[in-house]
Amino acid sequence: MASSSSQVNVHPIQWGVIVVVVSAGIIPLLLGVLRLMQVTQASPIDAILHAFDTPLATEALQFTLLEAALSTLLTLLIGIPLAWSLGRYEWRGIRGMRAFLFVPFVTPPIVAAAGFLALYSSGGLLPFMGLDLRTETGVIQWFSELSGWAHPGHMLALVLAHAWFNLSLVVRFLEPTLAQMNPHWEEQLLLLPGGQSWWLRVRHLWWPVLGPSLLVAATYTFFFSFTSFALVKWLVPGANTVESLLGELGGSAGIAFYRTEASLLVLGLALIQGAFMLIILTGASKFENQHTKMLALHDEQANRKLRGNAPRIQRWYVFAIITITSLPFLSVLIASFRKRAMLEDGTQGWTWTLDGWRQVYQGDASTITLLEALGNSLTFALLTLLIALPTGYALASAFHRLERQGKRKLANSLDIMCMVPLSASAVMIGLGIVVGLLQWFPSMFQFQYLPVLPHVMLILPFTVRIFRPAFTRLDPMYEEQIELLNLPLFRAWWHGKGAFLVGPFAIATSLCLAFSLGEFGATYLMVRVGSWDSLSIMVDQLLSRPKFDPLVMPTAMAAATTLMVVTFTALLVCEFVRKSTGGTDDV
Amino acid sequence: MNIPSLAIVALMLVTPLAGCLEPLQEESETCTILAPSRTMDNTVRILTYDIAAFSQEMLDEFTTQTGYEVELIRSDDAGGILELLMQTKQAPQADLAIGLDNTYLQTALQFCLLQPNDVSINEIDETVLDVYQGTYATPFDQGDICLNVDENGLDGENRTMPESLWELTEPQWNGKTVFPSPLTSSPGRAFMVATVDYFEHDDDETSSAFDWWKAMAANGAQFTSGWTEAYEMHYSGGYGEWTEGHLGDALLTVSYCHSPGVEAYYSGNWTHSTSIVLERSSFHQIEYAGLINGATQIEGATAFIEYLLSDEVNRNMPVNNLMNSVLNNATFPAQEGYEWHTDTPLKNAEISMERIANEMEDWLNQWQTATQ
Repeated sequence: MASSSSQVNVHPIQWGVIVVVVSAGIIPLLLGVLRLMQVTQASPIDAILHAFDTPLATEALQFTLLEAALSTLLTLLIGIPLAWSLGRYEWRGIRGMRAFLFVPFVTPPIVAAAGFLALYSSGGLLPFMGLDLRTETGVIQWFSELSGWAHPGHMLALVLAHAWFNLSLVVRFLEPTLAQMNPHWEEQLLLLPGGQSWWLRVRHLWWPVLGPSLLVAATYTFFFSFTSFALVKWLVPGANTVESLLGELGGSAGIAFYRTEASLLVLGLALIQGAFMLIILTGASKFENQHTKMLALHDEQANRKLRGNAPRIQRWYVFAIITITSLPFLSVLIASFRKRAMLEDGTQGWTWTLDGWRQVYQGDASTITLLEALGNSLTFALLTLLIALPTGYALASAFHRLERQGKRKLANSLDIMCMVPLSASAVMIGLGIVVGLLQWFPSMFQFQYLPVLPHVMLILPFTVRIFRPAFTRLDPMYEEQIELLNLPLFRAWWHGKGAFLVGPFAIATSLCLAFSLGEFGATYLMVRVGSWDSLSIMVDQLLSRPKFDPLVMPTAMAAATTLMVVTFTALLVCEFVRKSTGGTDDV
Repeated sequence: MNIPSLAIVALMLVTPLAGCLEPLQEESETCTILAPSRTMDNTVRILTYDIAAFSQEMLDEFTTQTGYEVELIRSDDAGGILELLMQTKQAPQADLAIGLDNTYLQTALQFCLLQPNDVSINEIDETVLDVYQGTYATPFDQGDICLNVDENGLDGENRTMPESLWELTEPQWNGKTVFPSPLTSSPGRAFMVATVDYFEHDDDETSSAFDWWKAMAANGAQFTSGWTEAYEMHYSGGYGEWTEGHLGDALLTVSYCHSPGVEAYYSGNWTHSTSIVLERSSFHQIEYAGLINGATQIEGATAFIEYLLSDEVNRNMPVNNLMNSVLNNATFPAQEGYEWHTDTPLKNAEISMERIANEMEDWLNQWQTATQ
């Protein structure tokens, strides 16, 4: 570890990357805030106070905090036993299981919403099982009357969907720690006074080891539930999160002499949301640093072998969760073949058809063909990968170098500054780009690959999250020894670092591809011309159409099915690469 | 210093700027025509929402007839078109705006967002032209926005067809109504305008439209961001009952007076939805096409408006766009009960476009206060 600071100086190019990334995140936001201040002639503090004085805004904030807290709780309740089972025992096809559990996280929320609606609606699986979350009859109605809670079914529907989305976060953060923890610690603790009871073992072993991973997973789950938009819109009619309210009001914001009240509310709400997000992300970053130190403790395979197969009840639990995870996907797949029709007896019913697939394959005036949308999605994804991967690597490397120089606080602060786009509402970023950059570069909106920019900005913090722990685990001794060999630049990098980073590269690649393929909000803001539509935009376009035309739903679901299959394939390919190169599972 | 502290410092530093930022200047009375914003090509760029009438065949036919290609730039609805026009005023992204209605048009004119066109309006119905007779926008479809009610929810005793809007504030309608918000929906906005006129002409001079909206909110009325959510998800009388996620918890919503006709047309001349045609509770909505100020492909855009007004396209609006044609002697088709189930308002609300533009911001603020 004893490298001199001159050896680990941050390269000027790396400083350049940091400046560009931080500026690209902050400048549009600043422009958005300044524009709203100019239009409303109000200060940010006035706007925040005004928001707290507006029932619409305070109700949205209360609802957001409640649903995010409940979603986090439920995700952990389901996720901890799942990660425990997956992490401690031998499983055949565990990589496929992990990849599958990860798919919900990168599924466009609008696709998920359609899948869940099918599950919750009349004729769906849940009403069949006696749980009517949608129209809230039966036990839900009984609970509503008992508790006085207006729509407990809708809240439960949303919380379940959020748990489905974020389950992979708990698995990703908790499972490697569990898998790599030295098994002798458990045995030794059982012999000590501090390990004589369940509670004492939690206090002295499990919490210190798993706590940071758990907190990271919980913080990110809270974060993603806090910023939920499409699921709220579809599953909880009549309620708004701060993000969905911003989305509703955002179109009117920033226009002089037009709906000034909306601009004022958007400014206040966006600042309140930004503050919450910054606090959450700062917390996540701190917990993550602790989590990183807990990794790479013991050989995972040896640990698994030692414990053998999971007990039956745990096997059933894991398979049940995987089955439940697949239900929204199956609903979407089935809906792509099902069309509303007038039956022979004169009643409305359903027929099985390929018309939806035909329609999506051919396209129409408002939607391009399936292959064109797929081509656009893959192009955006590959470009995102080409930019985000080296940039994320450069940032993580720079932060690692700063850490090695003893400037950990600076590294963490810069890391969080790179996360600013994540903390901002899409409305604010969109507004900043429209009112700011568009004034200088009008032709920018004619640039076909514009959606790649927000994709890169949103995925970068996650690629940095993947590479930073990997850099921490690298033994600097290798690099020092390679330097003595005087190898060409690339070979020196490969033997000193690259070969040890194949796993993180594969994970980052899968995340970049999957995220970009499924990204909706930012793409929607940037894509104005129909011929650039990605698959996720296409699904939204189709689903938003009035459904008096019975082909609308199967067509939308055919596009959604394609998106799911492509995403899952990309994840599987990356898992295969990781496996074939012997990568670890640490993130 | 950690990041939250930095954020607080940044906020404190930005706050004083509020006083330094120069207020934006209001538009002058006369509008100037802006120079083309992009390099000329053979493509007409159209800013619109997802208008059903623009089928691929229809656009291909236009290209065949004129040689111009068409590229659609989408927004969510009429309000989105206006807002995008405003936000990109310095660098217009399109040549033609299609879908602004008569609750938004005057604002677009006041903000100098459109420029005159020389499309012939000889074939357009007089009642349509009465609303706006200038050259900055050309009507292309029309429809009357009114309340729709599920006949299955009326028992003839406790709950009957409403004879006044105040009836909807009574207990039998508690929690049974849903309205698209006028803040975010153009049908919602049009209906709110109608209520302003309705309550200005009712017998009770002590209450206004916003007292009614307040009473409706207190009576459990639901408000949605758009028409689709209100009609498809909540309304029990429409085709929404065949879609996933249907709640069917509202017996009454805002749609078009011809929506029951559309329902019948797509369901083999059968529907249990009907319209409420109380005097002044409906609004005659007209949608317009207009050349954008700063447009580049003006000839192509003008040709597209002419094409939109051609018999072959405009007479088919009821089927292709579920709106009525604006041409003389336009009717809804008789097939499958379309015309039979379409109601004609007794008297639409009468509020000028100028008044709508001047008072809309105030009305929206009052509506928001009344319903929250």
